[in-house]
Amino acid sequence: MSVTSERRTVIVALIGNPNVGKSTLFNALSGVRQRVGNYPGVTVEKKIGRTSIHGRSFELIDLPGTYSLSPRSPDEMIAVDVLLGRRDDVGAPDAVLCIVDASNLQRNLYLVSQVLELGRPVVLALNMLDVALEKGHAIDVERLRRQLPVPVVEIQANRRRGLDQLRRVLNEAVDSPPPTVESPFPEAFQKELSDLRAFLTDDADSPPPRYLIERLLLDAGGYLDRAKLHEFQHDDLPAKLADARRRLAEAGSPVPAVEAMARYQWVGHVLQGVVSHDAERKITCTDRIDRVLTHKVWGTVVFLILMALMFQSVFYVAEPASFAIEWLNGRLAGLVDAVLAEGALHSLLINGVIGGVGGVLEFLPQIFTLFFFIAVLEDCGYMARAAYLMDKLMSRVGLSGKSFIPLLSSFACAIPGIMATRVIENPRDRLTTILVAPLMSCSARMPVYALLIAAFIPNMLLGVRVAIPSQWPLLPDTLPLGIGLQGLTLFAMYAIGVLAAVLVALTLKSTLLRGPTPPFVMELPTYKWPSPGGVLFRMFERGWAFVRRAGTLILAVAIVIWAATYYPRDPSKLDPALFERQAALETALSQSVAPEDDANRAALQAELDDVNTEIEGEFVRTSYLGRAGHFIEPAVRPLGWDWRIGCAVIASFPAREVVIATLGVIYKLGADEASEESETLRETLQDATWEGTDRPVFNIPVALSLMVFFSLCAQCAATLAVMKRETNSWRWPAFTFFYMTTLAYLGALTTYQIGIRLMS
Amino acid sequence: MTAVHDLVPLNMAPVGQTAYVAHLMGQADDVHRLKELGLREGAMVEVVQSGTPCIIRLAGHKLCFRDCEECRVLVRLGASR
Repeated sequence: MSVTSERRTVIVALIGNPNVGKSTLFNALSGVRQRVGNYPGVTVEKKIGRTSIHGRSFELIDLPGTYSLSPRSPDEMIAVDVLLGRRDDVGAPDAVLCIVDASNLQRNLYLVSQVLELGRPVVLALNMLDVALEKGHAIDVERLRRQLPVPVVEIQANRRRGLDQLRRVLNEAVDSPPPTVESPFPEAFQKELSDLRAFLTDDADSPPPRYLIERLLLDAGGYLDRAKLHEFQHDDLPAKLADARRRLAEAGSPVPAVEAMARYQWVGHVLQGVVSHDAERKITCTDRIDRVLTHKVWGTVVFLILMALMFQSVFYVAEPASFAIEWLNGRLAGLVDAVLAEGALHSLLINGVIGGVGGVLEFLPQIFTLFFFIAVLEDCGYMARAAYLMDKLMSRVGLSGKSFIPLLSSFACAIPGIMATRVIENPRDRLTTILVAPLMSCSARMPVYALLIAAFIPNMLLGVRVAIPSQWPLLPDTLPLGIGLQGLTLFAMYAIGVLAAVLVALTLKSTLLRGPTPPFVMELPTYKWPSPGGVLFRMFERGWAFVRRAGTLILAVAIVIWAATYYPRDPSKLDPALFERQAALETALSQSVAPEDDANRAALQAELDDVNTEIEGEFVRTSYLGRAGHFIEPAVRPLGWDWRIGCAVIASFPAREVVIATLGVIYKLGADEASEESETLRETLQDATWEGTDRPVFNIPVALSLMVFFSLCAQCAATLAVMKRETNSWRWPAFTFFYMTTLAYLGALTTYQIGIRLMS
Repeated sequence: MTAVHDLVPLNMAPVGQTAYVAHLMGQADDVHRLKELGLREGAMVEVVQSGTPCIIRLAGHKLCFRDCEECRVLVRLGASR
């Protein structure tokens, strides 16, 4: 191991255009030895992989896919900062590995020309030569090698070809000096650059890198100016810049146009005689598939079928898996039961920890299933087509097709949905998408809908049932074809969320977030078979983010809510008769009944259980949460709710699904029996009456009002927390909570008031 | 030099016909971004599917493109295929 100790870890930054196989190369080089984090303060994912080449340890920094290295947003600034070694949290790269798409060298070399100016050794990985060939481009790689000042390695990332050679060249490159490249810019520009550099270097102890000064001069959008880099704190600088730009415009090299001009000219030189095209463009597989998938009619039909299939699978696949997790939760609860005596700790573990976090984890299979589909669709290239199809609709509400994937993910869970908004470049579009994402009915609403629909909406099928051949053992015997009233109600709940999102997005884009619509350009990548490894990796990566959240934030809030439901637990406030009955039954069970008298024992035990749950219910009633429920009762009466529903809604602030457990406890039932599958909870709700009367609490309007409330409310602390992280301010989560709660209240109010009038 | 009336917005170019980008109008920043993507003066494009958004082929790659009031790509039509 003497070789490794000779030198510290070598750092290599990986950069490239989107859709050129950068992630595939990153995974192929670093395998499972990667960690994903975040650069503090911004939303760029920090992905670092490790590998060793000839006994030397390498750290690979994966930078976000980009067409250009010109900072116009905090995210792009990170890439520039990492490459220039200006960040403390990752080391300065010893070399830059630039992956390019051989079938589109012109555009890819634009980025290369920027990378070459960074003053670091560069290795070019030439990928997708097979695609170029398929498209009818012949590439003279030898000639390209001669015309580029850096080593070029042919690879095929998806087949893992050429990687050994790439490693070898990379290992040599880190010890070589950076390439000497002539600036592609015209003389006038270079002179301005030198002047600026001299001006900035004069009195600075650490002069800014040349590339950064170049960016500053080209920065027409004013991003670098607003970023207030410490190197550029100079009173005379703005005037100097304005003068320089004016002189450049007069000399026929206006910024930023001069950059595209100069770089494409350079690219033209490099590519001279390198690429030859077939006279006739070949019709590729992608073209043929696109004829259907982007067709105005058929494309939409396929899109709708795919979406229907996806959501159907989410529910079919998720059910048995959810059942398994639920079973596990039950076993864990049983274990706690066996080890611990009744008391505060016992209740905390069962109701707070297992009930709260375990309840959330039940949605993990659904989330995994949805992310599996999304990963497959993304990997094969279909998602960009879906975004294209949806752009027509999205642009009507002021968004673009890029908002589609985040909103689709939000049907599983708003947290990864909000994180997926990072691909949206326009900050106003991105913020709007973040703000409406929680209106998509996520999987946490599912149990609420499932319970209330099963209990109160009549099960009528408007259609037929189709028999399934018995050789398909995984499917049920028959499949309903048509729509049931229950299914229709479920669909309506999803539709309400989507409709509200449309209205809110429209309102936001015409008021708070009004601004010019930038042109929308998105690449439609070549179709390819999804790679199983990549799909599974992404599915677990996103699912894991959800588990981590459930494990931290949701756990913390679940405990707080548990405490509010459990304490003060003052027996003196309860009817003493209850305790007398409890004591009498316990005595009867242990003494007066013979152990063989099973029937009698069972009856007594059942009665004792009833008394126990009644006591439990009374404790909840007098708990802090119970008091809060009573306090807000006047406000929720117009929605058709009693104080207990009010309690359940307050308790479900941290996570919607908590409402099930709370309804269970509060309507006098042991919390661990309360799951959406349990007939008893359904029956309890059906039998529940307003206190002191025989009038049932729940009827169809109340159930609908509660469902509408949950489809629109922002009852998810984790979503609000991730919103804070992504927008870097508490203002937007606060705004979201306020607008969604208002919307939910009004929606529930309208539903109940209309429903009750229709009933009578 | 092409006269302005020979130019058509990219999304209105006939499907299947080769066109050359003649002029990019709009804010310097937006225009610069389009150029970085390869949509620059002189680039050959072909409209694969017209409409808003349209699908264009640029250097053998397909792009989904939607212009806006402030930002237009004007093309000069070439020979039809």
